[in-house]
Formats: sequence, structure tokens, C-alpha cells
Amino acid sequence: MTTTMDRPASAPGQSRRSKPLIERLNIFTALALGAISAVVVWQLALHFLPQIPDGQQYFNREDKITLLSMVAWFIGFMTGIGALIAPFRWLMGKDLSHDENMFYAGKDLGVKRYFRFTTDHKVVGIQYLVMTMLIFFIGGTLAMLIRTNLGHPQGGWIHPQAYNSIVGTHGIIMIVGTIIMVTGPFGNFIMPIMIGARDMAFPRLNALSFWLVVAAAIPLIWGQFIGGITTGWTAYNPLASQAPLGMDGYIMFICIFAISTMVAGANITTTVIRMRAKGMTWNRTPIFIYGTVASVALALPAFPVFFLSQVMSAMDRALGTSFYDTTHGGSGWLYENLFWIMGHPEVYVILIPAVAALMEMAPVFSRNPLFSFNVAVLGIAGISGLSVLVWAHHMYMSGWAPLLNAPFMLTTELISIPTGMLFLVLVGTLWRGRLWVTMPMASIFALLWNFMIGGITGIYLSDVPADAFLHGSMYVTAHFHYTLMGAGLTGALASLVYWFPKMTGRMFDKRLSWISFWMVQIGFNVAFMGMFLVGLAGQPRRVEAYAKIFSRGNLITTIGAYVIMAGMLVLLHGVISSWRNGVKAPMNPWQAKTLEWSVPNPIPLENFDVLPMVTADAYGYGKAKS
Amino acid sequence: MSLDTQKRPQWWKKKDVKQTFVFWLILTPLLGYFSSTIQIRSIGAPASETMAGVINLIGLFTWVAAPVAALVGAMCLTALLSKRHYGDNPPEEAENEIRNSPRANALWVSVSAVLCLFALVVGLVVFQKDAAALTDKTAMNINVTGQQWVWNYDYENGVRSADLYLPVNQPVIFHVTSKDVKHSFWVVQMGIKIDANPGYVTETAVTPNKIGIFDIRCAELCGLLHAYMQNKVHVVSQADYDAWVKTNATTEAAA
Amino acid sequence: MSLETHAHHEHPDVVGSRNRLGVILILVADIAFALSMLFVYFYLRMQNVNDMWLPKATADVPATTPISSSTGYTITAIMAVGLLAHFYALRGVRANNQTQLKLGGLLALVFSVVGLGYQFNTIAGAPFTFNSGGYASCFYLITILNFVHIVLTVFISLGNWNRSRLGLYKADHWHVDIVNVWWIWMTVSSLLGAFALSFT
Repeated sequence: MTTTMDRPASAPGQSRRSKPLIERLNIFTALALGAISAVVVWQLALHFLPQIPDGQQYFNREDKITLLSMVAWFIGFMTGIGALIAPFRWLMGKDLSHDENMFYAGKDLGVKRYFRFTTDHKVVGIQYLVMTMLIFFIGGTLAMLIRTNLGHPQGGWIHPQAYNSIVGTHGIIMIVGTIIMVTGPFGNFIMPIMIGARDMAFPRLNALSFWLVVAAAIPLIWGQFIGGITTGWTAYNPLASQAPLGMDGYIMFICIFAISTMVAGANITTTVIRMRAKGMTWNRTPIFIYGTVASVALALPAFPVFFLSQVMSAMDRALGTSFYDTTHGGSGWLYENLFWIMGHPEVYVILIPAVAALMEMAPVFSRNPLFSFNVAVLGIAGISGLSVLVWAHHMYMSGWAPLLNAPFMLTTELISIPTGMLFLVLVGTLWRGRLWVTMPMASIFALLWNFMIGGITGIYLSDVPADAFLHGSMYVTAHFHYTLMGAGLTGALASLVYWFPKMTGRMFDKRLSWISFWMVQIGFNVAFMGMFLVGLAGQPRRVEAYAKIFSRGNLITTIGAYVIMAGMLVLLHGVISSWRNGVKAPMNPWQAKTLEWSVPNPIPLENFDVLPMVTADAYGYGKAKS
Repeated sequence: MSLDTQKRPQWWKKKDVKQTFVFWLILTPLLGYFSSTIQIRSIGAPASETMAGVINLIGLFTWVAAPVAALVGAMCLTALLSKRHYGDNPPEEAENEIRNSPRANALWVSVSAVLCLFALVVGLVVFQKDAAALTDKTAMNINVTGQQWVWNYDYENGVRSADLYLPVNQPVIFHVTSKDVKHSFWVVQMGIKIDANPGYVTETAVTPNKIGIFDIRCAELCGLLHAYMQNKVHVVSQADYDAWVKTNATTEAAA
Repeated sequence: MSLETHAHHEHPDVVGSRNRLGVILILVADIAFALSMLFVYFYLRMQNVNDMWLPKATADVPATTPISSSTGYTITAIMAVGLLAHFYALRGVRANNQTQLKLGGLLALVFSVVGLGYQFNTIAGAPFTFNSGGYASCFYLITILNFVHIVLTVFISLGNWNRSRLGLYKADHWHVDIVNVWWIWMTVSSLLGAFALSFT
């Protein structure tokens, strides 16, 4: 066994001689190498790509240049962060030594480990937390721009092209943000400890999945400056093929993010299947784990379909193929099918971990066992399974296959059954419990309220004749905000406050958590309730100006949005101030029974000195328990 | 200890169960009335049977969903009104913890399944009616062409116009296509919508039953001026329609 | 022994089986990708929008003629031989025969490179352009992505052979097992592509 280190393996930071490559790479080298590669390839492409002769498709050459230079960014960034070290070491037969692995895990590196390719799942969890907050900050700012513009019927504050791009960017950023908001920070930080493991199955893939998200973000931002994403988050072709160069940013963002999802999916699933503590049978596995695995396992086959749709979009733009161009044998319906085959499972990818997290919190804050664990698992499994069969309900009005509308209506309505099971579990857990009034507990009630509205309005939409009226209107926008934000985000914010003590060693400031909870929930309901009404009155979605009759509803929504914004800023303030000087948390402030609460803060690098033995599930609350 | 093992006659006499029942009785009509009224009021007056059907459907589904939402709400209220604990330490654990109730599970799932089936059947019935309208031999046919960012209409008699005029009580089938990107032809108050796809022709049908001027809005983001891709449909008496056709036949508007 | 786990020296069988599961899960994503490509192919072919699946000749361009299906099957055959070579290597290491391991690995590498060259020629030598309608678009999609797959295969078989050569598979060989899984998928995915393309 050889190593590439010149000197015997020793503690990093000791070198007076040249530092090994691993120790030199971090986010700064990654950004630098990525930027340099992008610029170099841009120049090379500009000079050496052949000019397009007359009569050929417009924009081909510029798309090629943009895409090539974005790919160069990607390769440069990933090289600069050190993601390629392990594969090339494998190729050369010089595997990483124990000390190198320890270095990778961030041993003794202090704060610097958050800026590197660090494999410790706790570091990755924090990195995801910060990234998610950043994503929501940007997405939220874009939302405020949208709502400010829509506060007045004539719009006019933002140019239509910029407005369309803000809408599209807001959408895709939020979708990605909500996908990672629970499985990213908590699936990574908490999950391995919760199952009694020392780390995840593939620690390097863990770091990779995070840095891929960072790498993906830059093309999206870059895209804003070359025309933006003017198609809405769904990026329908053929509109996307005539959209400006910013679409290439969207395409790259999705392609890179898809790889991240795939890697994270394989990692999380393998970890849960193979690394649960001794005695943690499937019956004793906490429900949050089921939610996390279901989510990533669903994303695993779904996202590649989205990835493919974007590869084809890039080929149409840059090479002149005709996957989506009907004048040359292509079809926009092909795009819709590919997109929604991913798009529908994806909303459950978003929803399930958030609901599962709240199901994990419900017993803790009602001191009651989880009601009917089996039904909870069945509900999650049912939703996941059915979710791959419903996609064309997004296409009822597209005309692609009128005969298939009825079968899809059937499958879509069926999903209400397993969804109802999740309500049963939550309500059953609260029933006859000893309610401990905390922000996570309040979030459960908020979820029930919001998800009820989101779910029932979904039933209207699933009905083909009703959808003929509602599709493409603001009613749809309100519906999915109620489910993804009202239910999903509520679960994520509760998770933040709940697991904050374990992740940071400090309690989240109680007062701030309550203030932000009420502001966000009230602001949210005001904003989106108003939106249902303008949708019913006939306002289409994705419009930057609207008829006067919709004024009042829009004004109400805009006011609600500002309240949400204030609430989220209070939350941000809470995160920062609690992290810096919040009350130091005891090991198990909630007296919960899952394994993550049995490790002290700061958590040792490998979580447990001795791996735990599990003899019961985590829901043994109640005086009369057996 | 599950509900099963308690003495059978007692469970509905428990205080919290009775309280929940009362809440449920109050919440059901409140939620049903409020949600259906506010939605129906927002929609406005229908201009076709199809739209009237949509309004009825929304009302019906809302009233059917109301007891379900009310039950969840009632149980939540009962939970909230029980003795709540505040502070930094957890309260004592619950008295009679209930890990499962096969009966509650079975009841819940079967009621959801019944409601689901109900929604499906109602939906299919209306769906069939709409589908049948597409094969109506007495219908007049109008070709609708969407393009960034206008709608154009080609009538059976060769008239081409940027205005949509329809005779009242006459079934009409729209054949819709696009010249560039995807649009969506939404005749708002008549409750019909179908996407306009480049390279394909799609259909939707309706019978306007009210004279008046109604809205057509594009319901699929189609580029820069999507928000302005709107039109009016003029539903007039047969006589007025014939008169309009006569005037337009001689002055065929340019595309 | 390879130190995939940074401490606690878990038994190689445990580590190997866990890594195998991870790779299979990643392949689930890749399989979904490949099956979607088949969906694309058959959907566009069935739709034949504007009769442009295989456009007829016009004044400026000749008719688009599809490539013979034998090309796809040839690539599949090359990959299959590579798979057999790697399987031979795997049998060797299981029987403690390091020479067989190295020979099989080298052969597999050689065939992956041959496949790479052949696939490149298929793409470069196609008698139509990107803009030649539905079939042509799908042809390029399938062949280019298969090419990417083969590039990965070259990397993987190079690593496998190099590591065998360095004697890294004397104690445990779960890496070689997993590379075999990859070769199987490489062959199957080539076959799927060839199958689709045979429906012109």
C-alpha cells in the first residue's frame, strides 16, 4: 500500500515542506479554477468554433459557446474542490490512507472544514443548512420582487422580460430549495446518528452531493445576466428553445443538480438499509428515516428523466436537433411527458420528509406514542408508489391524449387515500396527548390546516372538468404553495428549531421562533388565500399585469407576502443570534427518545464511542406503556 | 391500551369525544358554507352549462370535503383545549397512550376510499358529457389560431377575424392550434380550456347560453406579452351573429 | 486491503456488499435515464409529427436514411466481449489466479477502447446532420450518450487493470465484482440502444 504523501502520514498543518494536494483545495481554489476554466474555454470556443453559414438556426453558436464554457466551469470547480482526487487515486491504485481519510473527515480542522470537501456527515449537514438558507433568501427576494410588481394591476415596475425571468428563476430556485430543505441538513446531519451509525455509507459521495449543488448554482446565477430564464420553472419547449441564452444556465443547473440528487439518493438509501444499529429492525426505525429514504428513493429514478429532458433541450438549442420542434418531427408533448414524469414524484420528494419530520416531532411534543406506525409507513409508501402514476394530470389541458385523462384522474384521486393516512397518524398522535406548547408543536397544527387546504384544492384540480377552468390560473399557484410551502416549508422550519440544539449545541431563541412562526403562517394564509380567489375570478398565472377586477385580491396577496418576508427575516435573525449566543443546550432538551439525542454536544467525530444496541422503538411514551 | 379493550358502550360518552363531536357538528356547516360561498362568489356568473357544471362540482366537492376537514379540525381543537403545558421541560407522559386502533384505521381508510370513489364517479360523469360535446354533429366549427400574442379565428363560412363572435345556444367546437409556441385557449366564463400546440390541432367544445361579452385569456406562458394575450368573446343572438358574419365576409380581416 | 472505511476495519465482505448496493442504486438512476431515451425514441417515431421522423428529400437536402441496425448490434457485441473478458478476470481472482485477473482486465480495457473508437466513427460518419428530423435527433442522442458510457468504461477498466497489476486484489476483490456489474449494464444499455434504433 503506497500513499502519495512525501513524508510519513502526519497531522496536517505540520508541514514546513510542500503541502499535499488534498490540503490545498477548498472553495476558493474551486471558484478560481472554475472561473478560469470557464473563461479559457469561452475564449477558445469564441475563436475556434466555426461560424454558422447563412440559413442555419439562429443562436446555435452562442448556445454552444455558453454551454461549453459552463461545462468547463463545472469541471474546473469540481477539480478545484478536490472531488476528482479519490477517483484518480483509485485509477492509479494509490488509495487514501487512514490519515488522509481523517483529514477528509475534517479532523482538527476547525471552521475551515466547512469550506472544503469534507466527508463528515455533520459538516455536510451544516453546509446544506447554510446553502438552503441562502437559496431561500434569494428565492424569497425574487418572490418579493414579483409580489411588489403585482401589487398594482398595470405592473410596470419590472419589464415583462425581466419579470418572466424572475418568475422562472424564483420557481426553479424554490423547487431545488424545497427538495433539499429537509433531507439536506437533517437527512445528512441527523439521520446517521438517529440510526446509530458513525457516518454515512459513502462519506465522499456525501461531500460530493453538497459541492455539486454549489457548482450547479453558478450557471443559474450566470444565466440571469445572459437573458434569464423566461419560461417559468417548467421550461416548456418550444418556448424554451426560443428563450435567450439564460436557458443554458437553467439546463446546466438541472443537469448538475440531478447528479447531486442521484448521488445523495444512493448514499442515503444504502446507509439506512445497511447501517442501522444492532437491534434497529424496520419496526423500530423512526418514521423520519422512512420519510427520508422514500423521498430520495423516489427521486432516484425520477430525476434522470428531467436530466434527459434538459440534455435534449440543450441539443435542440446548440446542435439544432428537433426533439421538441414540430416542424422537424419533434413534439412539445414529449417535453411535457418527460418533465412531469419527474415533476410529479418530485413534489412528494419535497413533501414527504417534511411531513415525516413532523410525525417524528408529534410524539415528543404530545408525550404520546406515534399513532399507528404501520399506517404511517403505509401512507408514505402508498404516496411514493402512486406518485409515479399520476403525472399527466398536469397535462389534462394539453390535448396530448384525451383518452388518458380519465385513467390519470383515477390514479390522482387515489393518492388522497394514503395522504389521508398521514393526517390520521398526526391527529391520532395528538389525541389525548399532553401537549407541550413549542414552535414545532404549533407547526404540526399549521401543517394540518395548510395541508388540508392544499390537499382539498388538489382534489378539485384533479377533476378534469374542473381543471378545464382552473388550469393555468392563479388557483394552481395557490394550491401548490399551500402544499409545498404551507405544508413542506412548515415542516422544514419546525425541523430547524427542533434539531437546532443538536446541530449547534444551542437552543433556538424561543421568542423569535414564535414571532417568526406566527408572522410566516398568518402572512402565508393571507397571501395565498387571496390568490385562490383571483384564480377563481379568472386571473392566469405567470402574468406581470392583470385586469382591474383582480386588483384587490392581488393587493391582499402582496401584503401577505410582505408579512411572510418579515417573518422569515425574524427567523434568520433567530438563526444567527441563537447560533452565536443562544442558551447552551442540554444533551436532550426535548427528552426525546431517538438516538440523536443520546450523543453529547459537541458531537464526537464518529458520533458514538460504542455503537448503540436498540431494544425498542422510539415511541415509548405514555404512563401505561408496556 | 387500544380503544378496543375499553368497555364498548363507554367510548362515545367520554368528555373529549363528545366535545369533538360538538365541534364537528359546528365546523362542518361553517366550513362548508364559507368555503363554497367564497369560491362560488369569486367565480362569478357562468356563461354556459359547462361552467355551471364546474361551479356545481366545486360546491359539491367542498361540501363533501367539509365533514372531513371538520373532523380534523375538531380533533385538533379538542387537543388544543385540553390542558396545555408550557415551559422548558416536557410535561408528564400521556395517561392512556394509544398506539393503534385497527377500527379507527379501517374506518378512516374506507371513508377516504368512498369519498375518492364518489369524486371519481362525479368527475367521470361530467367528463363524459364534455367529451360527448366534441362529437356533436350540430355544432359549428371554428378554427382558433394562437400566436405570440394574439388569437385569430377562422369561421366555417370563410370569415377570418381577430374577434370571436358566437350565437347564443349554438354548440360550437373549437379546433385550436398555434403558429409558434404553446398557448392555452381559455374562455373563462364558459369554463373551457385547451392548449394551442404548434404542429397539432386540439379540440374543445361548449354551448354558450348567455348573451354578453366574456373573457378569453391565454393560460400558458408564451413569452414576453403573455399577460396581454387576451380577447373578448361576444355572445349575441342568432340574428346579430348572422349580421356580423355578413359584414365580416366582405371585409376579411388580415391575420 | 483497501481502506474505504476510514477506521474500525469492517470486514471486506460487509464493505464490499455495501458498495455494491450503492453502485446498483446509482445504476437505477442510469437505467431510468436509458429507459426514458427509449420512450423518447418510440414516442417521436409513433407521432411522426409533420411526417418528419425520416424527412423525405427536398430541393436542398437528400432524404434521411436510417443507419443499418447492425452498427448498434456490433457495438453491443464489442461491449459483450469486454464483459466476458472482465468476467474471465473475475473468475480468475475468485480462484486466486492473479495472472488471469490481469489478462482478463487488460482484454476488457482493450475492447472498451475498440468500442470507443467504433462508436466515435458511427457518430462522425452518420450520413445526415443534427437537423435531419426526429430519427436523426434520436440517433445522435443514443449514440452520443452511449459514447459517454464507453468513456466511463475505459476509465473503469483502466483502473481495474492497473490496480490488478499493482497487486491490490490479492486479499479481497469486491472492486472487481462491482466493475462486473458495470460491464453488465454497459452491455445491456448498448443493447437497448441498438434495439431501439433497429425500429426505423
